[in-house]
Amino acid sequence: MRRLLVQLRAVVVKEARQTVRDRRMLFMLLVAPVFQLVMLGYAVNLDVDHVPTVVVDQDRTPTSREHLRGLLADGTLEETARADGVAEANRLLDAGEASVAVVIPRGFTRDLARGEPAPVQVLLDGSDPNRSNIAGAAASQYFQGAALDVVRGRLERLSAAMGRRVSFGTIDARPRIFYNPRLDSAIFMVPGVAVLVLILATTVVTAMGIAREREVGTLEQVLVTPISPGVLMAGKALPFVAVGLIDVTTALTVSAWVFDLPIRGSLAFLGVATLFYLMTTLGVGLFISTVSETQQQAFMGGVFFILPAILLSGIFTPISSMPAWMRALTWLNPVRYYIEILRAVLLKAAGPADLALQTGALFAYGLAIIGLASLRFRKRLR
Amino acid sequence: MTPAIRVEHLTRRFGAFTAVRDVSFHVEKGEIFGYLGANGAGKSTTIRMLCGLLAPSEGDAVVAGHRVSREPEAIKWRIGYMSQKFSLYRDLGARENLEFYGGAYGLGGRRLRRRIAEVVELTDLAEVRDVPTGELPGGIRQRVALANAILHEPEIVFLDEPTAGVDPVSRRAFWRLIRHMAEAGTTVFVTTHYMDEAEYCARIGLMVAGRLAALDTPAALKRRHAPGTTWHVEAPAILRHLAALRRLPGVVEATAFGRGAHVRVAEGAPTGEAELRAALAAAGVPPTLVEPVAPTLEDVFLAVASADEQAAGTAAAWEDPA
Ligand SMILES: Nc1ncnc2c1ncn2[C@@H]1O[C@H](COP(=O)(O)OP(=O)(O)OP(=O)(O)O)[C@@H](O)[C@H]1O
Ligand SMILES: [Mg+2]
Repeated sequence: MRRLLVQLRAVVVKEARQTVRDRRMLFMLLVAPVFQLVMLGYAVNLDVDHVPTVVVDQDRTPTSREHLRGLLADGTLEETARADGVAEANRLLDAGEASVAVVIPRGFTRDLARGEPAPVQVLLDGSDPNRSNIAGAAASQYFQGAALDVVRGRLERLSAAMGRRVSFGTIDARPRIFYNPRLDSAIFMVPGVAVLVLILATTVVTAMGIAREREVGTLEQVLVTPISPGVLMAGKALPFVAVGLIDVTTALTVSAWVFDLPIRGSLAFLGVATLFYLMTTLGVGLFISTVSETQQQAFMGGVFFILPAILLSGIFTPISSMPAWMRALTWLNPVRYYIEILRAVLLKAAGPADLALQTGALFAYGLAIIGLASLRFRKRLR
Repeated sequence: MTPAIRVEHLTRRFGAFTAVRDVSFHVEKGEIFGYLGANGAGKSTTIRMLCGLLAPSEGDAVVAGHRVSREPEAIKWRIGYMSQKFSLYRDLGARENLEFYGGAYGLGGRRLRRRIAEVVELTDLAEVRDVPTGELPGGIRQRVALANAILHEPEIVFLDEPTAGVDPVSRRAFWRLIRHMAEAGTTVFVTTHYMDEAEYCARIGLMVAGRLAALDTPAALKRRHAPGTTWHVEAPAILRHLAALRRLPGVVEATAFGRGAHVRVAEGAPTGEAELRAALAAAGVPPTLVEPVAPTLEDVFLAVASADEQAAGTAAAWEDPA
């Protein structure tokens, strides 16, 4: 037992020394993740506002101007151009200079005054469905409200004329949103990006570690020592557990600061869950390195694992909107569990009791994959 | 006394190619055993099998009391290995490498520090122990590798061409260390390309194309494989006139050697200094030097290799039905 600890310590110290000495590696492990986090955090911002809008006001009355002001008031749509006719507005949409065109035709105010339907035309560039959905919804929401106001005004005048109150009931559904009331997508996405960055830094680096030793020949000298594969694997993983914990801590700090990410749950629990998650990503890296002859193979193996792991994690696509067979596959994915834990702890202050399944799954997964890597590792050359 | 190493019909194939073919021998405890052979003869492959790094295809070996086929890990505690290609960490210094490998052999604390101090002193590395080994010249690097191989006081050390690319002065120092280790009771299994170094070995195994072609003490090998008289001959462009020398009665061999050639003449043959001088003078290159010398292991090696090639040639002719 004491002997095993001596061996383990030797591997850990050696790995740590080599890592600390390698400037490029340190940058990759500690600095690059922060950059990636901030850049990706901005890039995956799914909030839609300031959609460039071309305004065509053919009515040119105080009423039409008032409606246009009201439409643009909440900032979802932003007037970037004005046109005289529909043809010109179309041209601007085609040219990509605007994504939305709002046309108030001549006679709009007159029709309203006469109590006739007054059409308004909204043209949308649908090439980004999410964006055009939101822009379209903003426009119809505004005009529905406006239509309601028109009806209400008319009723009031009617009741005054009749000397008797006339009213009608409306349904007012107002969704109230918990946890992320501003529906700020950064708050949802940033934990996902942190997980992504972490898996890149840990899995690929460990996968290439042993493969590099095999390639440059240093593994031969290690194989002739009586060190056991388990100790070797654990010793190679431990320094990177430290690196991973540092990365998560910086990622959360930076996210809280740059993206206003709330940290509502227990950091201690998050630390434990992160430890388990790192066991799985490092374990997968070690496993890949035992089946790879060269660094290139190890790198490809890492990518081969990371791509599906990210796609099937629920970071970018909600798991609930995946087909059933894909949903089933996500249960095999450690990233899925960790992202659930991270979001739940940060946004909902969830604790171990709420996340027992996810935490347990990560731990079991980690032990299994490290065990498998140790079994796969041969102390013979070929 | 049980031998330190007992090799029994050891064979290793890589695909269809047989790198080591049916090799058997013993190495006694505390012996310096030399393993000689041309490039690709199968020396490193044999060592790797004895260290438990490569599984034998056939046959087996008992090293420090354990079978390589069944208990390679038990062997690893008791042997030291210096590989042919420098394979310590180049980004770490000697001391850091020794700390890692000491730990890997279960050495820690005061005991490890004491052993590191001892081997650093023994291999004269005090001044460079903190320089990354990748920045050290080849000769010093080999000393680091040797220090590393003996750090955990193994019963047997395997040194695969420890002096390759090392200058002559350092080579001599290196061999002083090896002899010192053997005197202290360590068994040394060493391969080399340098025939002069082979003279330091108690016994020598000669590998030719994967087979153990000869095995004995250097003196016995010379008596058996290089009998008769060996002459050292120097003359201008002598390599072009070896054929003329081979035509003289009783000349068994005439091969390049250093700046001249070695000519071996069978016992009782009528070819001596006068005849050799006359033959070369007749060829238009009067020799500058003709003197009898003791046969070297190089002569033995050449004799064994050419005899083996002929034997292999006949065997192949026999086997080939065409
Ligand atoms: N892993 C391997 N796969 C295929 N062939 C191999 C392998 N290792 C060695 N060989 C071949 O086996 C033969 C013997 O190699 P080995 O390294 O044992 O020779 P050696 O006597 O040590 O030669 P050298 O003096 O060049 O070190 C060579 O032809 C080599 O190419
Ligand atoms: Mg070799």
